[in-house]
Amino acid sequence: MYLYTTILFVIMVASFVICSRKLKSPEISMAITGVVGALVAYFMYLGGEYQIDFPVRILVEGLFTNFDLAISFVCASVFVNLYSYSGAMTAVTRKLVGTFDNKWILLTFMAAFMLVPGALTGAGSISVFVLGGLVATVVRYMGLSDRKTTAFVFIFAILSAACPPINLWTMMMTAQCNMPYVGFTKLLALPIAIVGIFTIIYLGWGSKREPKEKILAELPEAPEKMNMLRILLPLVVVIGLILLTLYAPFDVPVIGLPLTFIIGSFIVVLCNPVKRTFKEYFKVVNDTMEQVFPLVATVLSVGVLQSSMTQIGVKGLIGVTFITLPLVMLYVTVLLFGPFAQGCLSYGSAIIIGAPLVFMFNTRGMDTTVVCAALSLMFPIGDCLPPSRITGRLTCETVGYQGSYMSFLKQIAIPCALLGALALVMFITPGTFTFLK
Amino acid sequence: MSNETTAKAPVAFKTKVILLIIMAIIAFFAGKEFWELRHYKETFVASEDLTQVKWLSDYLPSLKGTWADTPIYVFDSGVEGGSVFVMGNVHPYEPASSITTYVMLENIHVTTGKVFIMPQGNFSGSTMGSIGGAYPKYVHIETEWGEKTYKIGSRESNPLDQWPDPFTYVHYPDGQNLAYQDIRNMNRTYPGREDGTLTERAAYAVMEFIRREKIDISIDIHEASIMYPVVGTYVAPDSSIDIAMMAAMTLSDSVFDMKCEASPKSLKGLSHREWGDYSDTLAFLMETPEPFIDRITGPITENLMLYGMDEFLVKAAEKGLVYVDYPVSYWGVEGEPMWYRVGRHLSGALEAINWTGLFYDDKAVEVTWPTYDDLAENGLGYYLHDPALAENIDRVQVVYHKPVSVNN
Repeated sequence: MYLYTTILFVIMVASFVICSRKLKSPEISMAITGVVGALVAYFMYLGGEYQIDFPVRILVEGLFTNFDLAISFVCASVFVNLYSYSGAMTAVTRKLVGTFDNKWILLTFMAAFMLVPGALTGAGSISVFVLGGLVATVVRYMGLSDRKTTAFVFIFAILSAACPPINLWTMMMTAQCNMPYVGFTKLLALPIAIVGIFTIIYLGWGSKREPKEKILAELPEAPEKMNMLRILLPLVVVIGLILLTLYAPFDVPVIGLPLTFIIGSFIVVLCNPVKRTFKEYFKVVNDTMEQVFPLVATVLSVGVLQSSMTQIGVKGLIGVTFITLPLVMLYVTVLLFGPFAQGCLSYGSAIIIGAPLVFMFNTRGMDTTVVCAALSLMFPIGDCLPPSRITGRLTCETVGYQGSYMSFLKQIAIPCALLGALALVMFITPGTFTFLK
Repeated sequence: MSNETTAKAPVAFKTKVILLIIMAIIAFFAGKEFWELRHYKETFVASEDLTQVKWLSDYLPSLKGTWADTPIYVFDSGVEGGSVFVMGNVHPYEPASSITTYVMLENIHVTTGKVFIMPQGNFSGSTMGSIGGAYPKYVHIETEWGEKTYKIGSRESNPLDQWPDPFTYVHYPDGQNLAYQDIRNMNRTYPGREDGTLTERAAYAVMEFIRREKIDISIDIHEASIMYPVVGTYVAPDSSIDIAMMAAMTLSDSVFDMKCEASPKSLKGLSHREWGDYSDTLAFLMETPEPFIDRITGPITENLMLYGMDEFLVKAAEKGLVYVDYPVSYWGVEGEPMWYRVGRHLSGALEAINWTGLFYDDKAVEVTWPTYDDLAENGLGYYLHDPALAENIDRVQVVYHKPVSVNN
């Protein structure tokens, strides 16, 4: 089985590399890689003890792995683009720049804003969608370069995903391991606070804020009748619905994130001080679909790839190779395997790599709550890694970063390394951190 | 990055049409398979002791007509005694649990008390494969008269029946946060809500059933991955832990290794916790080893489901990462074959029932069905009867989410 799955793994890697070069499309490359792997495996295993089903249903099923995420992306984008179209985003930016004179205070506010949507939904990509554009605009005016601005948005997006109360990696690991999802708040919050503060200083150091008057002169004017009610109501409704789901779940129906953003979009339209035609709004929605389509294609393709890897045993090969390493090697390589698994498997990394490790450390008498938290801080780093690189890619597109992806990776390397180092210390010496439970 | 996606030449209309046709063909064949699994009807030849068929919706009418409704088969001896409830397939990706109940349903003989058997605890979850799990649709059991086919479902209810998920699931009534997909995991939604989601309502209906029928002994049958510590075990709350311990010791001493775990008080929504907390029943959950659902296996095949032999798991076992004797058990069984898993459950349930009778006279139920030793000797298929035989035709039951006859 090792031989077969290793051959398949090599074929899939080769297929992905060749397709990426020829087609220049990571999403189509992932889908093709999934199909190639499944078809080669089908014929390789045919008639033998590992014979698998013909993979049509499995590949289509894979499209639905991240279906909810894809719909959430579409709906969140519609909401944000309508919000920007109404002029509310410009008004918010003008208010923030006009109110706060101090660069550090404004950067801290932007960081805190970024943390909220991801912390409440568990998805850093939602933070990027909802606030990435606004935060990027303000941060740029604080004198940060495009590359640093992109790094700022990305780092706080991944921190928001790891931030309590909702950390999906932890939740998935605890669900797999039948552990209660309790005791994680301080364990997650403290490293996030340390990395967050460091990131603000690291990226903000040396940048020079332009004079307030100059910034305001450069910013477009907000619509005349745009007032605080019109600015805040859509945000209050969306955040309010999210908070209701969390804190009054038995009094409201489950509407999910997509409908939450759709409701928010209607509120945006109602609050728009400028009367717009249906055709104009339709164009915004249509443009949004064009804009978000590559990302939707990415998350759907990741699902196809994952299903294929699961069916043919390549996922198992990756998992067993890592978790059967000697303990020392495991400590040495966890910061590679964890983020790499996230790049390949998205949240599946928590189930395939995370849960077996938690069991393993449990048998060694180590504190599994701390181990879980440590892994949950490592996985988000992989959100910038291929093949999926969902949050990394989304950040570059939202911020409009024109540089190479590699230059973006270099910029985020130090904050990511700090996050990884803190997580590694927790992972190796979980007993030291039990006071945070 | 953005340049990669924006600088491409537009795709020609003809290419688009060709791609669309290819996609339509793929969608047709995949859709056909989805439809088959969604509507597949399992059957069994009921034991002559069957006295009544009830429905989960009898205990919560809002379930009627939904895909969460499911039959409950009643075997009443007519002799005063205790009552037993056996539930399979709460997690339909653990088919040894439903197959165990089918062996019971086909071969049960009750002489004291009542037995209630629900083969498809979460019917909705049995109508789809696990998304991303790449499961085969069916598992086939060989018998002397041909193959018997059973579904391999999902861990959660079908999103066609309950969607969307929230971004986090808050357990009722404790308010504990759980992973978002657990809102469709029936074994995280007890004690359920009368006006909640479909899965919460199904869980509530099970609680109502246990309360109204005054069930003395409730047994929830599961399977577990072998890298999960709670495997090959009973899990029981304080009220039934002594009985479970005695049953486990008896089995371990004579038949197969069986552990016993106390139900954690802080973990909400599970049957072994909430059934006992929200009713007077003595609750037992049983787990048997199912390598198929481990996360680091090789190719996902029907053979893996049937025989449970996997090279990657052997490697994990060598490193001490699994919680059962693997690949060869202390008793000499290779892998984790289906007959072995079903046999464990059959004897495990019987032992829990017998020990309850010894602890409490008024809860005694006298019941027989094939045991582990029987399956070891004759195989699993031996106890699944031919529905085509003339003497069996009238006793064939169809397990679906609504009453249907054999010919439908």
